[in-house]
Amino acid sequence: MADYTYPSIYFAYFLFFLFLAGALYFFLRSFRDGYWGATSEDVKYQMLKDEEAEGHGS
Amino acid sequence: MAAEKEIPSGASSATASHRPVHSDTAAKWFLMSSVVYFFVVGVIALIIAAKFVWPELLGTIPMFSYGRLRPLHVNGMLFGWLLAADMGLVFYFVPRLCGVKLYSEKLGVATAVLWNAIVLGAVVSLLMGWNQGFEYAELPLVLDVAVVVAWILFGVNVFGTVFTRRYPQMYVSLWYTMGCILWTAFVYLTGNFATLFTTGVNQANLNWMYVHNAVGLIFTPVGLALAYYFIPKAGNIPLYSHKLSMIGFWSLAFFYVWTGAHHMIHGPISQWLQTISIAFSLMLLLPVWTVVYNFFATMKGHWPLTRDNVPLKFLMSGVVFYLLTCFQGPMHSLRSVNAIVSKTDWIPGHAHMAVLGAFSFFAIAGVYYSIPRIFHTKLYSDALANWSYWLAMIGGIGFFVTLWLGGFWQGWQWNNPAIPFIDTVVALKPIWAVRFFSGVLIFGGIATFLYNILATVIHAGPRPQEAVHA
Amino acid sequence: MLNKADSNAVWFIVLALVFFAIGGLLTTVAPPLIDKSWAAPFSNSDPSKGLTGQLRPLTELEQRGRAIYVREGCWYCHTQQTRTLLADTKRSGWRGVDSPVSTPDEFVYDSPHLFGTKRTGPDLSRVGGKYDTQWHRTHFRNPRDLVPGSIMPPYPWIANNESEFQAIVAYLQTLGRAKNWRPENDYEK
Ligand code: HEC
Repeated sequence: MADYTYPSIYFAYFLFFLFLAGALYFFLRSFRDGYWGATSEDVKYQMLKDEEAEGHGS
Repeated sequence: MAAEKEIPSGASSATASHRPVHSDTAAKWFLMSSVVYFFVVGVIALIIAAKFVWPELLGTIPMFSYGRLRPLHVNGMLFGWLLAADMGLVFYFVPRLCGVKLYSEKLGVATAVLWNAIVLGAVVSLLMGWNQGFEYAELPLVLDVAVVVAWILFGVNVFGTVFTRRYPQMYVSLWYTMGCILWTAFVYLTGNFATLFTTGVNQANLNWMYVHNAVGLIFTPVGLALAYYFIPKAGNIPLYSHKLSMIGFWSLAFFYVWTGAHHMIHGPISQWLQTISIAFSLMLLLPVWTVVYNFFATMKGHWPLTRDNVPLKFLMSGVVFYLLTCFQGPMHSLRSVNAIVSKTDWIPGHAHMAVLGAFSFFAIAGVYYSIPRIFHTKLYSDALANWSYWLAMIGGIGFFVTLWLGGFWQGWQWNNPAIPFIDTVVALKPIWAVRFFSGVLIFGGIATFLYNILATVIHAGPRPQEAVHA
Repeated sequence: MLNKADSNAVWFIVLALVFFAIGGLLTTVAPPLIDKSWAAPFSNSDPSKGLTGQLRPLTELEQRGRAIYVREGCWYCHTQQTRTLLADTKRSGWRGVDSPVSTPDEFVYDSPHLFGTKRTGPDLSRVGGKYDTQWHRTHFRNPRDLVPGSIMPPYPWIANNESEFQAIVAYLQTLGRAKNWRPENDYEK
């Protein structure tokens, strides 16, 4: 077996930084996409309300 | 508080007159059969747990030997009970989240019939010893093909519903359900078909990719879909954060698939691949902790609800088990910890906490919540439901805790070559006895659960008139 | 972009598959292309390069034995890998000689692979030649006759079926024999 131990560790570091960059990018993007606006969380209230008429909601 | 916010305008179009009436026929088929399998396969689980204590039990009958009953237990619980229950619950909540009827109830029933045929075929073939020799992929090729067909039918139904949905924004349960369907397709093909064209370590790598992701990309996403739907519903509390759920979902989508090789740590597979799988196993804390935080934050200030609300009890206990099992996973991927616990009884402890403690608890909660609504009645007995919870919970804790401690102990003994192997077997016997008796308690929980659900359905009778008003 | 994944199902499908495919391809298709040792059968005749020996495909008899091993689910209780752990090389060893660790080139012909995940019984990766046929016959009939306290199930239907018994023993005796690791070559028959 060829020894790829160190390359794999560097690869892991590389990926960690890649994820960090991705996380930052998407965080900044989320402002532009309106994820911090007043309506951005509407869907979680809506899912509570579509109970069927005949359901015995608790 | 946020809960007092106005309902968004998008939802107001769903006035009473537009509300679809869900017939839930497909859901009924899946749920009722899965609950019965839960019980039947529970008997088999008890037998194999007993065989660790009394190895001669049923010892001269090939069909009932350990090597044949174990795959039946695993496949029966995974596919006969859990996945079938998950599919039934998906048929329940997807139309409701989309605000439309299920794409096709007939197709759903056909899927359920095919699924039951597969489960019965699995019982016969595994008892006969027609075993392909791959963990989680034991079933003969014909049945593998049938599973693929059933999964496509299921996917068509779910995506058909999603594409005709009335609310444009998709709730997080829908993402997890769709993700599960898409990823499972590839994961299942890898584990059941691609393995046939490879050998040795290459094949093992594909096999572990499947085994790991059968849990990570089939049962985890659909289980979380249930939790994300039923926790807010059962407590009538809005989810803490939609944004946070996005992080959990997309990090799961990216990280989970990389970790298959951690099943071979220290084994005959390239070290660098092991390292990559370990790195990604640690990254899995991210999707887990964001999701668990979201659930706990949802419950903040509402914990007293769990006292009388059995579905919520099962759900939040499941979340705690999910947190624990997903902490174990990354930790025993570390080489140092793995050297102790790998291949010991810790592993079944870990696996049961994920599949029983977390995902089965979610599914049980879903069944308790949805069956009375599907049959337009009330649950037969809340007291009995409480019993099923405490039996499953106490039995579960007995099972998990003894196997973790026992597994560590076993691993330490193995790491001391001065101890003959057989002494490490004898030392574990008390552990296996406690495991068996914990199993009896869990089985008691399953039996009361089955009885309660069957009694609810039988007492429901025909649909009461006043229920269809509005 | 984020909004789209949130409310556009097609966009969601594409994104979910892309996220999955990166890791999926890199961990399944790429590794055997990078590490060629996964597919090269073990073969060495030069003692200066380490243990000698050669991996050979199973004979028909041994293959039948392997099929019985698969059918009876022996692999749920027995692993076949001596890991890179000192304790493993000692436990797989014999008469004071530590066994070599298992390497991918010893398993090239295995299908289905039988590496296993659980050691209820001992690892079998170097069990070939450890016991003779008579030992195995008694052990299959009732393991507790030889090893008191064992929880291995009895297999009378193998021990009493001469052709199945010969086949599975022939298979067990091949395990871990590609590398000549015992100095005296003192394997049992
Ligand atoms: C329930 C788990 C279980 C199953 C299934 C099982 N075994 Fe075992 N096996 C054990 C245990 C425990 C031991 C150690 C005690 C002993 O030697 O009996 C063992 C020991 C052995 C040994 C001796 C290993 C050594 O190094 O001393 C062999 C060989 C063996 N088993 C072969 C098999 C075969 C072949 C099958 C399938 C037909 C099988 N086992 C099925 C649990 C199991």
